[in-house]
Amino acid sequence: MKIVAVTACPTGIAHTYMAAARLEKIAKNLGHEIKVETQGAMGVENKLTENDIRRAQIVIFAVDIEVEGRERFNGVKVIQVSLQEALKNPEGIFAKIQR
Amino acid sequence: MSTSLSFTFVCSLSNGIHARPASHLAEVANTFASECILTNLRNDAIAKVRSVLAIISADVRHGDCCFVQVSGPDEQFAHAALQRFIGEVLPGCDVPLAGGDGFARGRTLPRVLQAAGVTGSFGLPVSSGFARGKVVIVSGMALPRGLQAKPAPDPEKELERLKRALTTVCGRIRDKLTHAISPTAAAILQADLAIASDVSLSEKLAEEVSQGQSAGQAVMEAGEFFISVLRQSASEYTRERASDIQEICLQLLGEIYGAELRVSAADLHEPSVVVAEALAPQQLLALDRRYLKAIVLEHSGTTSHAVILARSLGIPLVVGVKNARVLFSPGQEVVVDANRGFVVSNSANPVQRFYEHEVTTLERRRELVARHATGPAITSDGKTLEVAANASSHEEVVQAFANGADAIGLFRTEMLFLERERPPSEDEQFAIYSEAARTAAGRPVIIRTFDIGADKPAPYLGLAQEENPFLGYRGVRVYAEHKELLQSQLRAILRASLLGCIQIMAPMVSSLEEVLEFKAALSEAKQSLTIMSVAFQADIPIGIMVEVPSVAFIFDQLCAEIDFFSIGTNDLSQYFFAADRGNPKVAGLSKVRQPTFLRFLKQIVDQIHRAGKWVGMCGEMAADIRYLPLLLGLGLDEISLPAAQIPECKRRISKLLAAECQNILNRAIACVHAVEVDDVLDRQQSLGAAQPLLSEELVLLESTSQSKEEVIQEIVDAFYVTGRTEDRHRLEESLWARETVYSTGLGYGFAAPHCKTEAVTSDSIGILRPNRPIDWGSVDGEPVGMIVLIALRNQGSASRHMQVFSMLARKLMNDEFRAHLLAVKTAREMVTYLAQQLE
Repeated sequence: MKIVAVTACPTGIAHTYMAAARLEKIAKNLGHEIKVETQGAMGVENKLTENDIRRAQIVIFAVDIEVEGRERFNGVKVIQVSLQEALKNPEGIFAKIQR
Repeated sequence: MSTSLSFTFVCSLSNGIHARPASHLAEVANTFASECILTNLRNDAIAKVRSVLAIISADVRHGDCCFVQVSGPDEQFAHAALQRFIGEVLPGCDVPLAGGDGFARGRTLPRVLQAAGVTGSFGLPVSSGFARGKVVIVSGMALPRGLQAKPAPDPEKELERLKRALTTVCGRIRDKLTHAISPTAAAILQADLAIASDVSLSEKLAEEVSQGQSAGQAVMEAGEFFISVLRQSASEYTRERASDIQEICLQLLGEIYGAELRVSAADLHEPSVVVAEALAPQQLLALDRRYLKAIVLEHSGTTSHAVILARSLGIPLVVGVKNARVLFSPGQEVVVDANRGFVVSNSANPVQRFYEHEVTTLERRRELVARHATGPAITSDGKTLEVAANASSHEEVVQAFANGADAIGLFRTEMLFLERERPPSEDEQFAIYSEAARTAAGRPVIIRTFDIGADKPAPYLGLAQEENPFLGYRGVRVYAEHKELLQSQLRAILRASLLGCIQIMAPMVSSLEEVLEFKAALSEAKQSLTIMSVAFQADIPIGIMVEVPSVAFIFDQLCAEIDFFSIGTNDLSQYFFAADRGNPKVAGLSKVRQPTFLRFLKQIVDQIHRAGKWVGMCGEMAADIRYLPLLLGLGLDEISLPAAQIPECKRRISKLLAAECQNILNRAIACVHAVEVDDVLDRQQSLGAAQPLLSEELVLLESTSQSKEEVIQEIVDAFYVTGRTEDRHRLEESLWARETVYSTGLGYGFAAPHCKTEAVTSDSIGILRPNRPIDWGSVDGEPVGMIVLIALRNQGSASRHMQVFSMLARKLMNDEFRAHLLAVKTAREMVTYLAQQLE
């Protein structure tokens, strides 16, 4: 499966990056292809291109704040969870996607 | 006698019938001859309505049902009047008091104490430090020892003394009432007057005297009786009134004993915390320094002499603690935290644990600071600023140099002249000045000639009471009339001048004429010494205080006459803005960080420097470390402050960049409001060379912390002792602000608390591994055994450090990385490992 994700938290110091690392790892273990854009204290990193988004079968927003450039994802299937959820139970998110 | 008339009412006042409504009620009852009795049906308390104290003692709260019975010759009129008053007027008698505890609002205790359910009384910390001790209330209520034992052979005479005192006190309050500046002030005075003229009080006093008490003892007994009654009230408002009674009793004692009472001070026998409404400098000095550990004042003034004195002696002091004398009882063990600004009872275990840690933290912090105290204060970019101390006794001079002072920038001499029958002799002064010069061992000592006005007690000067002593006959202005006093002081200073580097400074100068007269007086003193063949330093430097704005317009003339200047910011700002700094309604106007005032200071310094002369600052502004960037920006040659603050001040200077301080000053000058200046100061980036993200001191393995609160406190303290934060409270609160969004416990037994804050001086990582797992409210519900704390200084743009932080956050998701952190044996190993991993 081709997945893209965005992580973002209010201070943008820790959870944005922890969640990104977590999602990348689980996806890899499950054999998915994933690209995670982080919106943190360093601004937008690993930015998702139009092409990335078009090719993706699903988008995960693991966010506690508004996603920057949300309009980029219009027309794509989006699943939104809190950052805490992404850290606590990332397997659960992927299980939901596969269903 | 006819049958009595009665009615019932329900109290609708939200704070109950406290002193102010009670005083109105009693006023009405007192216009009639009938006896009016109020019964509070809730507690069956019975009160004479003519007595304010009795009404207050009945503790009538909101919703209480009361029964009023009126009997006597004019009972019909009295009944009607009281009923109408209680129904129509009384509910409007409770206009809330204006003003109050601005700085105490929104203050919180450290989280560790909050979590332990401790409550604190807040105030404004004005002399830092913390101390434990038993409460000793110095209220003036304590009679001097000699007076306590005095028998009262003639009750008639004692009663007469009491009546006279009551009449005088009432008269004085009435007099003040006619000058009351606001309705609130008038209402308070009215309540005071009601208490002073209360029938219950005078009855109680008479009763005490009839039992053989002296007038003073009777006041004490009666005061204590009513205070204890009021303290039992459920209403905070009523409990507060206890201090009104205390105030009246103090005034009565003052009348009865006069000067004898003024010297009264407490005898201290064990480590003590002195709690008082306000303290006179002489009162403070009379306290046994061995046992005086801290002071708590209800009065909120921050520039009184007692405050200045406590600061220079390094005695922790918190001012503006409302009702401290009522809230704390004598003998109670308390902790005064004058770093944070509160007082807590020391009985709870967590308090003791917290302050045991605090002792170690502050000790280590002092070591850090002391490393910077020796040697001159030089900014990161190489500019030296002389850091001198203010002093007024030999003791303070010794402390100043022990703390690393480069000089004594202001030796106040008026303390030598006050509260005594005769002025100090020339020899007495010579002894004191030469002691200071010897202790200074060649470093400069600026001695300021006496600055006395009508506000300071020096009876032999015969200064008349003045409406406004700060604008009156004081300082250099009295020298012409008291020529010999000045001559003897100048001769004493000159004689001491050979023993070191002494300089003379004149206070309160406002014109060139005064400078010329002062110089002539100095020549005369020199001449008389020459005649007597006494040696002195012929070219002793002469300077003046810059505290009257008029001198700012004649620097060209002044610089031709004298050698140096020292800016006294307290008086200069209040004269500049025409705003009394003791009047809370206008004190805000004369804040030294008003941009207008900063402009004025810049003009002063620039003008003096253009003429090639030296200028320092010895006012309170120099003592406030927050203003250091502004002072460096001004380009002052010296700042003079209380000795206790010198090490920290020197350390701060070494962290600043002089060039950037000029920019900070320019930005501050361009502001409109004082608060914007605060903002500029908060944002200042000029913190010198950055520290590495992590150091061994920030790795706390085998921590004994037992809770989330203690863990965060311990890491914050580690930041403090390594100079990574100057504001522990703000750093702690930033971390907790993040925790309240949701716990930073990320599972796997790890937590990563973090924040973005200007409370850290540089980006930092703190690591703590507790001996026992800590409940962190983690996502998986498990306790944590490893805490990695990240503090980012808000610098707006993406920084290199943020890259490290994001890498660290990602790594925390890596099993191997976490296992390694748990296995690391030493702090050094931890630093090395992380440096490797986060390359």
